[in-house]
Amino acid sequence: MKAALAELQIELTPYQINTLSQAAYTGWVWTTDNFHKMTILPETKQILFNTIIYVTFTLLLFNVGFALVLAIATFYLPKGQAGIFRALWLLPRISPSVLYVVLWKWLTWDTGFLNAILNPLGVAQRNWMLDTTLNAWVFVVLINGFIGASMGMILFSSAITAIPKPLLYASEVDGANRWQQIRFIILPQLKWPILFVTVYQCLSLLTSFEQILLSTDGGPGSTTEVWALAAYHNALDNYWGNLQYGYGAALALVLVVIGVIMSFIFLRFFRFQELVRQPRIEQ
Amino acid sequence: MSQNFKNWPILTALVLATVPIVLMYSYLVLDTVTNTEPGGILPSSFTLEHWRFLYENIEGKANIWQVTLNTLVFASSVMLLVLSVSSTAGYALSRLNIPFRREFLAGVLILHAFPSITLIIAIFLILQLIGLYNTLIGVIIVMTSLQLPLGIWIMKGFYDSVPWEIEMAGLQDGASRFTVWYHLVLPQVRPGIIALGVFSFLSGWGEYILPTVLAPANNVQVLSGYLASLIADDRNFEFNLFKSVGLFYATPVVIMYLFFQDKLMNIYGGGTKG
Amino acid sequence: MEIILEDFTKRFGEVTVIEKMNLKIREGELLALLGPSGCGKSTTLFTICGIHRVDGGRVLFGDQDVSRVPAQQRNVGVVFQSYALYPHMSVFENIAFPLTVRKEHKNTIREKVAEIAELVHIGELLKRRPEQLSGGQQQRVALARALVRKPSILLLDEPLANLDAKLRLEMRSEIRRIQLETRISAVLVTHDQVEAMSMSDRIAIMKEGEILQVASPTEMYQQPINDFVAGFLGNPPIAFLDAHVQEGEIHLLNRKIQFNFPGSSMPTNGTKIRLGIRPEHYQPNNPIQIPGTISFVETQGRENLYDVMLDDGSILRSIQSSATESIEKSAQVLWGIQPDKVLIFDQAGNRI
Repeated sequence: MKAALAELQIELTPYQINTLSQAAYTGWVWTTDNFHKMTILPETKQILFNTIIYVTFTLLLFNVGFALVLAIATFYLPKGQAGIFRALWLLPRISPSVLYVVLWKWLTWDTGFLNAILNPLGVAQRNWMLDTTLNAWVFVVLINGFIGASMGMILFSSAITAIPKPLLYASEVDGANRWQQIRFIILPQLKWPILFVTVYQCLSLLTSFEQILLSTDGGPGSTTEVWALAAYHNALDNYWGNLQYGYGAALALVLVVIGVIMSFIFLRFFRFQELVRQPRIEQ
Repeated sequence: MSQNFKNWPILTALVLATVPIVLMYSYLVLDTVTNTEPGGILPSSFTLEHWRFLYENIEGKANIWQVTLNTLVFASSVMLLVLSVSSTAGYALSRLNIPFRREFLAGVLILHAFPSITLIIAIFLILQLIGLYNTLIGVIIVMTSLQLPLGIWIMKGFYDSVPWEIEMAGLQDGASRFTVWYHLVLPQVRPGIIALGVFSFLSGWGEYILPTVLAPANNVQVLSGYLASLIADDRNFEFNLFKSVGLFYATPVVIMYLFFQDKLMNIYGGGTKG
Repeated sequence: MEIILEDFTKRFGEVTVIEKMNLKIREGELLALLGPSGCGKSTTLFTICGIHRVDGGRVLFGDQDVSRVPAQQRNVGVVFQSYALYPHMSVFENIAFPLTVRKEHKNTIREKVAEIAELVHIGELLKRRPEQLSGGQQQRVALARALVRKPSILLLDEPLANLDAKLRLEMRSEIRRIQLETRISAVLVTHDQVEAMSMSDRIAIMKEGEILQVASPTEMYQQPINDFVAGFLGNPPIAFLDAHVQEGEIHLLNRKIQFNFPGSSMPTNGTKIRLGIRPEHYQPNNPIQIPGTISFVETQGRENLYDVMLDDGSILRSIQSSATESIEKSAQVLWGIQPDKVLIFDQAGNRI
């Protein structure tokens, strides 16, 4: 599938888009057809599976896993070096997503950097991002993971800095080597931040599709089409202009329900009672 | 840390893991002023031709300065709106005994965690109905309201950490609640205001989905859309031109980031989505 | 084990905190490192245990040079000021930690922990978590954790600072008891002279990264090397009077008071000196009488502390049993000093 909307920009005037959109919107009708359709379409199973893969791998490998590695590693480095690495790993997050994703394309495309390096070594030229399903997944996870790792990195870093220094000193004079210090002292102290990041990022990943839209756009085929992207495609970015607002909205509603449920779980983590304490003036 | 551990194993591992980032971003800068032979790794000649978009229109594309102005208006408006609402609402939720305070807070908190992007289909339809589709104002309003839960939540957090004694003293000295807020409390939360301001500006500046979906027309195009349209254009695709526009687009972000790095950490750690 | 610091130098960046310090901790003794905050006593302690490294000189454990040995391999027990108990572990796990990371056998660990818990009287607390313990109990756990590995030396960093006054008294004698029972060499870092005097075999007093004097508490109190040491030890503190030497006599208060120079190494005529007079040595029945006006009275219960202003505006302090009749503020008094108890310092502050 092509980025249809982007193409529409070139070929149609805004007036035409407007007309098209209005023509596609059929008005209010009460119906459960869209949900019924969701349960019978084979694509549903596929995008559900894709979403699970996408969220699980990105979350475990990067948003929590690699974020922990980054936070702990930079903690053991001198301030200056640690600052450089943290700044570098924040670049993907602060860069505009369009630019960031294209940098990955530059790395992986047919005429990209990887090929320029590997070609002389006898590796056949190819589009590394899209030539196989596995590669597409690897890069979807990498692209999202490089962005996602920074939030965990910052949160974990500040949590580690908050561990009283004497605790770490004590463990060292008690004979703990670095791995034991991480395992017995640092990680137990990060229990809550890890839980927080896991839930929060799980929710974010479930509903994020911007980077996938810009990189693989669900391809090759629809092997990396995740739930949120499917909702977007169906409602707003259909190749044939045959926009199905209703079905897209139904897909999105599923995410909304999951979002609300997880947000409530979130409240428990936040210790809501404490946060809504009564004001101390004008009681 | 203490000298009981060696640094070099960690340093080596981190450097290796960071190679892709360093590669991508250094070539981003390098490629904007050089040409590389097809299949080559290192650039072969220096040139400024990739920056021509600054003074001549690229065929079929909007004027870059118009687009930049749009982006600036969009990002600044979002920043101002988010700041003014969050700084007042955050105070009210943190300090005033207003009715339904608890419920309101719960709402903000849930919306804060809630992925607002799932609402985009509904928003798209609503904007069409009320005639704000394809206008900057429409995107500004939508972007602002999606940012507000986070903004209010963060400002509430900053207000919460201001000691009550300051306000009590102010009230004892005969100041009104508004004076207390404006003259005593607001200066205390300046770091929060700055952080939130920079953050909303950067979010507006970098936003892609909302402007693309809600205001795709050329005359209201913003830089993200402009950039995306460059790459979607298969007929005369030029990586280095794209990178130059990209660098032009990203430079303000990086500069602001370097300036406000410490202050931003709070928000990037505590509140962002994604 | 005997611990020796040899020409020990420590820098933090550009700042040299300690330069060429020499100190010996004898086998089995408790040595107090006493000094005001920022004098480098904690730095010294952290260097002995290996959290800091020396920038010059050597640290010797017995005859082994441990200057480059990481903290993990030094086998030093440290009780931190905040106790640094691992909050997510039970008391048992806390005490067992040094043995766990050495991968000792489970049964051995259980035996050793039980034994040490018995010694510090926390046998019944092993299942609790640190936050469920009182300050004194936490202190005992920290001690147990430091001792369970049979360390070469025990280091105590301001161990009583976080306790309230009553517990402080109790733990003072407890720490001393445990140290005496285990006969382990120990270093106590403190800024409290009472703690140092009451707990240690010897005191090393520090100022600005330098050791001024090492001596037993009594010796240091009676024979301080300079006015700083004299002023740091003793509560209520010693009072100083300006004077000068004239023909074998000490003259003070515009020559109104004169008495024979008590020592043998008499300074030359006209030398300006300072007299240090402790409150317990300015008393009603002493020979050299100095008149003054009571300017301040502090009731301490068993004793009363009087500040007496002399003619020239300087102040002497006197501490007297409250059993005798107490004296009102502004009363005129004629109390005396004993020449051989007066400490004499030169202008630079060194003891003559």
